[in-house]
Amino acid sequence: MTDLANIAAPAMTPKPTKPSRRLGLGSPIAWIGLAVLILSWIAAVKLLNIPSYILPKPEAVVRALWSGLAVSPASPLGYYLPLWSTLSNAAVGCAIGVGLGLVIGSLMAEVEAIERLVMPYAFALQSLPKVAIAPLIVIWFGFGDGSKIAISALLSFFPVLINSFTGLRAVEPERLDLMRSLSASRLETYRIVKLPNAAPFIFAGLDMAVVYALLGAIVAEFLGAQRGMGVVITQAQAVSDVAGVFAALIILGVLGIVLHGIVRWCEAKVVHWGANRKK
Amino acid sequence: MLMMDVDNTPRRPSAAPDDVLIAIDQLSKTYVSASGAAVHALSRISLDIKPGEFVCVVGPSGCGKSTLLRLLAGLDGYSDGRLLLDGEAVAGPSRKVGVVFQAANLLPWMTVRDNVRLPLRVGGKHAPAADRIERLLAVTGLGEFGDKYPYELSGGMQQRAGICRALARDPEILLMDEPFGALDALTRERLNLELQRIWQENRKTILLITHSISEAIFLADRVIVMSARPGRILADLHVPIPRPRTFDDIVLHPDYARLAKEVRGLLNAQEHGHD
Repeated sequence: MTDLANIAAPAMTPKPTKPSRRLGLGSPIAWIGLAVLILSWIAAVKLLNIPSYILPKPEAVVRALWSGLAVSPASPLGYYLPLWSTLSNAAVGCAIGVGLGLVIGSLMAEVEAIERLVMPYAFALQSLPKVAIAPLIVIWFGFGDGSKIAISALLSFFPVLINSFTGLRAVEPERLDLMRSLSASRLETYRIVKLPNAAPFIFAGLDMAVVYALLGAIVAEFLGAQRGMGVVITQAQAVSDVAGVFAALIILGVLGIVLHGIVRWCEAKVVHWGANRKK
Repeated sequence: MLMMDVDNTPRRPSAAPDDVLIAIDQLSKTYVSASGAAVHALSRISLDIKPGEFVCVVGPSGCGKSTLLRLLAGLDGYSDGRLLLDGEAVAGPSRKVGVVFQAANLLPWMTVRDNVRLPLRVGGKHAPAADRIERLLAVTGLGEFGDKYPYELSGGMQQRAGICRALARDPEILLMDEPFGALDALTRERLNLELQRIWQENRKTILLITHSISEAIFLADRVIVMSARPGRILADLHVPIPRPRTFDDIVLHPDYARLAKEVRGLLNAQEHGHD
């Protein structure tokens, strides 16, 4: 027996996955791109004499960023309170949207009657620009946190719904044959085979969902709110503080990258077999 | 008087060696293809398999030999005829049957041990069998690999785990659908030897589907040769070569040459008849 074990040994060196690579920031070329962008921005402002209410000087944006960041977290002038407000609403909305998307996507994948009932409307709604529903949602939920959460939930619901449905249906028939040959129950087959099989799809949906949830919260804040990053942007816009708008956008951009990174990191932990997956 | 009609109902097994464990009687399977045409996969197959027999089925591609295995496994329904396992008509998957799939079919998100233990976790209550699982892993050389994931194992090791999994419930019957087809020749011979040993140790009834004539003769007590679609049985050949067999010995055995020639002749006649 040992001779057989030895023969198989070379095939077992574990191949570690590098989640940072997947972010695209591991390569020096990505950083060169950023440097080129900033240099051409400085050059454009200096050489082309673009007025600061169209394109602010980089140092003005840095100053705006600094004044928002270098304050006490409780200061009403800093980014921390609005960021927390936007982020917590987006997170609650995202959790609701992802949860509902997973449950309804699963029901659609498992029960054909539910698929027939929901699918046409899901696709019709999917092709509707959902941000357009936002004013309606503000009427229903008011200008408080409710409308922010609702729009975030609505936007993050669809990618998870479609992806979990697709992933749960994309199981290799041999794996279903295996479970059938073992007389496994429907729930066992779902839990042991279909759900893990759909995990890469669901994470792809989740990746979209976190960004959409953030987008939803900010759009809702544009329509009317007392606090949040959307309010920071509209207030800066109202006084033509373009550098302030840029600074808020940079904060949101960094936040988006961080959220994406968190989802990717979780995916690498959960779908640990993914990179080495073999048929 | 009313009891008279029970006489042809097969009785519960009495472990007599010449009892029939798998009774296939005039079995036919027709299914509708994606294009809507009726496909006759199997046509009136009859075959009896005794407990402890090792039967290999060879035939041209698409001859319905995999269909036969799926019917025995209870994965598909049959169109006509009778199919009895241990005296009971097959109406779905049975606990008496373990299936070994092509290319192992392990779940990549589970360790080898969890894959092998899967049959005891699903499909109702099972007696605890942790000892047997460990013994199965040890016997097939997977003892140290229980905590590895399938992708960390070679194809041959993966299929060993597939065989362990099929044996987890200690079934009477093992159905194997071209289990070694994806492996290189050397690994394949090694696993053939090992399968022979496993079979000699616990005398499961094995029905194995293969493309390989040498594999069929090496492993089987009986080689069943099937025709091209609609699948029929062309020959049912007894392999009188003593066991344990080795590949070096068997090629020198006069019965090996005779059987290989006969099977090859039957299969070649099929190919030409259908071109």
